Amino acid sequence: MRKTVKKFIEGNVAMVEGAIAAGARFYAGYPISPSSEIAETASKELPKHGGMYVQMEDELSSMATLLGASLAGKKSFTATSGPGFSLMQENLGLGVMSEIPAVIYDVQRCGPSTGAATKPAQGDLMQARWGTHGDHGIIALSPSSAQDCFDLSITAFNLSEKYRTPVVFLADEVIGHLRETVVIRQPDPSEIINRRQPDPDTKPENFRPYDFSGNTPAPMPFIGDKKFLMRTTGSTHNEKGAFCPTPDNINRVTNYLTNKIEKNADAIVITREYHLEDADEVIITFGCCVRSAMTAVDRLRQKGIKAGLLQLVTIWPMAEKKIRSVLSSVHRVIIPEMNLGQLANEIRKFNDYGCKIIQVNRNDGILITPQQIIDGLEAK
Amino acid sequence: MATYKDYMLFDKLPQTWCAGCGEGIALQSIAAVLASTGYDKHDIALVSGIGCFGRVDDYLDLNCMHVTHGRALPAATGIALANPNLHVLVTMGDGDGVTIGGNHLIHCARRNINLTAIIANNYNYGQTGGQYSATTPTGSITSTSPYGHVEPPMDICKLAAAAGGTYVARATSYNPVQMRKLIKDGIYHKGFSLIEIMVACPTHYGRYNKQGEAARMMKLMNEQSITPEEASHMTEEELSNKIVVGCLVNKERDDYYTKYHKIIEEEREEA
Amino acid sequence: MKKEIVLSGVGGQGLISTGEIIGQAASIFEGLNATMTASYGSETRGTFTKTDVIVSDKQIGYPNVEVPDLILCLAQVAYDKYLPLFRDDTLIVYDTDEVKKADFSKGQHIGYPFRSMGIELGNIQTANTIALGVMMKHTGLLTKENILSAIASRFAGKEKAIAMNSKALEKGFEL
Repeated sequence: MRKTVKKFIEGNVAMVEGAIAAGARFYAGYPISPSSEIAETASKELPKHGGMYVQMEDELSSMATLLGASLAGKKSFTATSGPGFSLMQENLGLGVMSEIPAVIYDVQRCGPSTGAATKPAQGDLMQARWGTHGDHGIIALSPSSAQDCFDLSITAFNLSEKYRTPVVFLADEVIGHLRETVVIRQPDPSEIINRRQPDPDTKPENFRPYDFSGNTPAPMPFIGDKKFLMRTTGSTHNEKGAFCPTPDNINRVTNYLTNKIEKNADAIVITREYHLEDADEVIITFGCCVRSAMTAVDRLRQKGIKAGLLQLVTIWPMAEKKIRSVLSSVHRVIIPEMNLGQLANEIRKFNDYGCKIIQVNRNDGILITPQQIIDGLEAK
Repeated sequence: MATYKDYMLFDKLPQTWCAGCGEGIALQSIAAVLASTGYDKHDIALVSGIGCFGRVDDYLDLNCMHVTHGRALPAATGIALANPNLHVLVTMGDGDGVTIGGNHLIHCARRNINLTAIIANNYNYGQTGGQYSATTPTGSITSTSPYGHVEPPMDICKLAAAAGGTYVARATSYNPVQMRKLIKDGIYHKGFSLIEIMVACPTHYGRYNKQGEAARMMKLMNEQSITPEEASHMTEEELSNKIVVGCLVNKERDDYYTKYHKIIEEEREEA
Repeated sequence: MKKEIVLSGVGGQGLISTGEIIGQAASIFEGLNATMTASYGSETRGTFTKTDVIVSDKQIGYPNVEVPDLILCLAQVAYDKYLPLFRDDTLIVYDTDEVKKADFSKGQHIGYPFRSMGIELGNIQTANTIALGVMMKHTGLLTKENILSAIASRFAGKEKAIAMNSKALEKGFEL
């Protein structure tokens, strides 16, 4: 059992510490800026915990290897950035369809394509949601501190195991390289969720690896289980995991894959508030921009303006209820983000209340400053 | 005594493959080999990709992971590294194995991952209408080379051997006895093993290239077959129309898991 | 209390290491909050680089330095870059071997030949730590003991580096 320690480390390193604390013991990936410290740290730390690191030939194979290792019993993770995340979409879809847990750390950088490889951005919001084709639900978490990188890693693996789905850890270069104090602790076993196993009384011939009847995934024995055979496929399948491309079944499976996440949104969604309770001026944001927004709130409050912040810790599924409660209670919200409005456009979908939406966008690789957020409010 | 039937599923039969396709022979051979090993089916993992031979998992009662086109080897790499006690089989076609997935094959062989890759080579993409693949012979007609194929074909076994594969063999569907022996040796081999199985595709490749009925295609395959010993006395030109069958490489080298596990044993801090 | 610190120079001068020592001393040993962000690019040696460190007794939001209270300049290119940000109460610590102080510039300047002093001490790589001693002596931000603890932690397992940097820190505090 590891002791609780305080370390002054960057977000990328804290992610690996968090993954290991969550029980992850397998890494497959392809190094890419600005995420490479995750690969480096994983290669150094995993063997100390009996875990394994393998550097694959590309991100296509990394994602496939991750799913194979997960199916055979290891909690698995990889790390990448925009261009690599694009390649991973193929087998991210396989993970979604086959319902195999895994955590993908995406440390966002400027794009498209090679873009500015070392500069921060938040342009992968939609890639995380819709990068792989076809209807499905997805879970994505976004950290705003190095401590989040540790704590939310545990959350990410738990959600992944609980919902039998890949989870995207949507970080950015600012938080990935931000060094801060991180409390590293060994979570109590009760905090850790492991994939549900079949009831031991189930007869092997009656076991089904898939269940589309509700919004809860079927139990998932490991490949190598001595009683149950496991069968997964990226093709549209029935409860047995057998290919079944009938219209009714295609409809049933895609609805299930969407509802499994969307109908459980209340249990999945995490938000944080900073001086939100009495706020007239509300900032909604995520990831690195939370840091700028907190400072902006402090400065506005010093000027006597009742400002507050709603932080979206889960980006997907969207915190619809919370966002609606803000939109329905204030005249305007301000949305800073390091892209041209990917979050603002999602928030507009919930705006049945005539709330004014002010965007503060930056896509030049420089973190939005507190003053820009304040200027955005005062200009209107 | 277990028989091939103990490793098969029968609810999806009749099989998806065309009449005369050699892949049914390969399927039955795999099941028969598994029966002869006596392995508990819970200790076997089958990973398959997309393509005609990727459908093998429909008929086998094993742990099965059916993945995307070309990615069967990396998925199997994950399984083999996560649980070294499993016997990992990977079934692919020439499209899956050496065309879209060629890069993975090279690196899987180089890493010497402990698994057995069985690649059914029918010279074309059979499942999707007979387009050309990386193994389609030069000059062949396919649905995407209507004027004759201009590229040279990839030799799957030479590629695997050059990349560091520690067991490489080839058989034809004309000779299931040899096929079974080579698959069995490959499964018993520790490290990366690859068995290429030549199969006839009478529906597409055979028809486009006027090779006649399935039986004639198989007979042709047999006429082209030579042993590695015979091949060693032949010139490049004499070899151009031949199929070298038998075990081509069989050597020992520590596999990835074995080597990495030594690091874990050295560095491990927790019990 | 909140101090915004810029450590600037060219790649290879150990500024990230200095930033980590300040951050560790402040957050682990002094019980304060600290953040550190470093310029990040594919170039590693010889080009302009800076490290921003913020130390505060409150939670730190925006992690980049906006108005520096303390600037270390170990290269002319760095000094010239930050010159427009100097205010009357800015403390500028600079290397007289490398930097020519601008006439009529604002702020309190403290210059020593850190590079030569590092060589004299036996390792040019300690110039940054001597400068760290000077910075901390003049600001009183962190105690010498806590910085020594941070050095021991930063270079854990490398006894020579700990000894060398501890000596360099002492040297800086003596100036």
